[in-house]
Amino acid sequence: MYKNLYRRLITLLYDSGSIHIGSCLSCFDILIETLLFQMKKEDRFILSKGHAAPALYVLLNHLKRLPDSDLKNYLKDNTKLTGHPAPNCFDDILGFHSGSLGHGLSISCGIAEAMKYNARLKKQRKVPRIFCLISDGECNEGQVWEAAQYAAKRNLENLILMVDKNNIQAFDKIVNVLGDPTKKDRWKVFGFNVIESDGHDRKKIKAAFKKCLVFKNKRPKVIIFNTVKGYGISFMENKIEWHYNQLNKEQYKKALEEIEENEI
Amino acid sequence: MKSEVARELEKLGQKNKKLFFLTGDLGYNAFESLQQILKERFINAGVAEANMVDVACGMAKMGLNPWVYSIAPFLILKTAEQIRNNICHPNLTVKLVGNGGGYGYGILGESHHMLEDIAILSSFPNIKIYVPAFSEDVKSIIEKMGKAKSPSYLRLNNVPKTTIKLNSYKPLRQILRGNKITAVVLGTLVHNVLDAARKYKKSGIIDLWSITEIPIVNYLPIINSVKKTKKLIIIEEHVKDGGIGEKILSKLELEKIRLEKIIHLSAKGYVKDRYGCHLFMLKQNTLDTNGIYRNFKKLYAL
Repeated sequence: MYKNLYRRLITLLYDSGSIHIGSCLSCFDILIETLLFQMKKEDRFILSKGHAAPALYVLLNHLKRLPDSDLKNYLKDNTKLTGHPAPNCFDDILGFHSGSLGHGLSISCGIAEAMKYNARLKKQRKVPRIFCLISDGECNEGQVWEAAQYAAKRNLENLILMVDKNNIQAFDKIVNVLGDPTKKDRWKVFGFNVIESDGHDRKKIKAAFKKCLVFKNKRPKVIIFNTVKGYGISFMENKIEWHYNQLNKEQYKKALEEIEENEI
Repeated sequence: MKSEVARELEKLGQKNKKLFFLTGDLGYNAFESLQQILKERFINAGVAEANMVDVACGMAKMGLNPWVYSIAPFLILKTAEQIRNNICHPNLTVKLVGNGGGYGYGILGESHHMLEDIAILSSFPNIKIYVPAFSEDVKSIIEKMGKAKSPSYLRLNNVPKTTIKLNSYKPLRQILRGNKITAVVLGTLVHNVLDAARKYKKSGIIDLWSITEIPIVNYLPIINSVKKTKKLIIIEEHVKDGGIGEKILSKLELEKIRLEKIIHLSAKGYVKDRYGCHLFMLKQNTLDTNGIYRNFKKLYAL
């Protein structure tokens, strides 16, 4: 199934002439595990790194929450599906713009807060969870840290933050820009339960989510996923240009071949 | 006006269990009783306005009714993107309450003044702006905001005690009847305009209209008034660009209504690079009683 999903993602990216391919591939395995296996009906998801929108669209289509006709129109005129998610599509899963970085964690805090309060009002013991995916480059944004303080102070234990740590941002490596903002200690100091995991090995990803259940305190959780930009396609891996490049026919064929050959 | 807001929200919060109040660490000596009543629903979100506004968006998305409070420039300028992308575009029921609209914070300085909020917010979709003129307006406005299922912004300013008998609240309300000058005023400056009108020592000169809601839905009373007086003065504690003056004048242009004389008094910023109390700032901008009266006389001298 993973191979099939990868094939569909690459085909969508090729057909639409999409950019941000490396960013989609670094978080695709995390998204698959989150959307297909971790989320329960009442849970919510915010894709704060909105430039990975095509990866999300493919999975929503797989989950039958997004019709083929909409997916076909991705990046075309008169579409619902833009390069970064627009606010009024898929109300229950997005419902917000997420092209400008730094908003998602704050919005997720509000959702987590409301989930806890609504559960109390309805006297439900089980509180739904909010999953939020941000990128390591996104952690340059001051608002991420405003939100981190808020989440910890407000005891938002139903918040699961996922950081796609692919080590490359839009114009340079993360360490060369403002340093690595995803260090475990930083999140610990901010009051999070911190888990670090490989972001492509599906067993390890699953195990990371399982570890979230171990914590019995009221702190929010962050899983720092070590990922590879352009994962799975040799000529894209760790290359900054695949933040911007579009696939040509030859590259598309090669990418499909690699997906068949690789352990994806 | 803060205390009136607190009182009304206390009432509303007791009835509506989904009402949340978020403050950016402000409201000392005004919101303590609201805090006691709302308990867990009163959140001091810290000096982190961008986060606070987005938290409110998340809450609203999940069916809660958040009200967000700070000093107006911190609430609107620091968070313009949050407001546009996450409140206005998705049309979420988030209420913004900004204190110190205009030069309200006086000598505390430029950083605390808010002269461009109406221009910014009225260019965003779905949001309604409320600018109470009298302290009595706060009750009606909070009730309206509480019922609305769309974004709104309440712009508060310093307000003196009401000296006239008020008719019931309306977004565009006639305050004085006259047939020489049409005066349209935004928010609390209506008090200065009333004092200026009294200087004529004769009634029936100023046809005074108070605007408290933007967008202006019904221009007809203003149109009818200027058809009668042919002279218009617009007064607002906001920069000229994007304020109520531009909106009214473009409507009159569209309706091809020609007037003999128009004066637009607005905030000019910091012309002489000198600062002072609220009244000083109004004087500098010809928005005080004497300044307004001088302009009245340009339109009609007895």
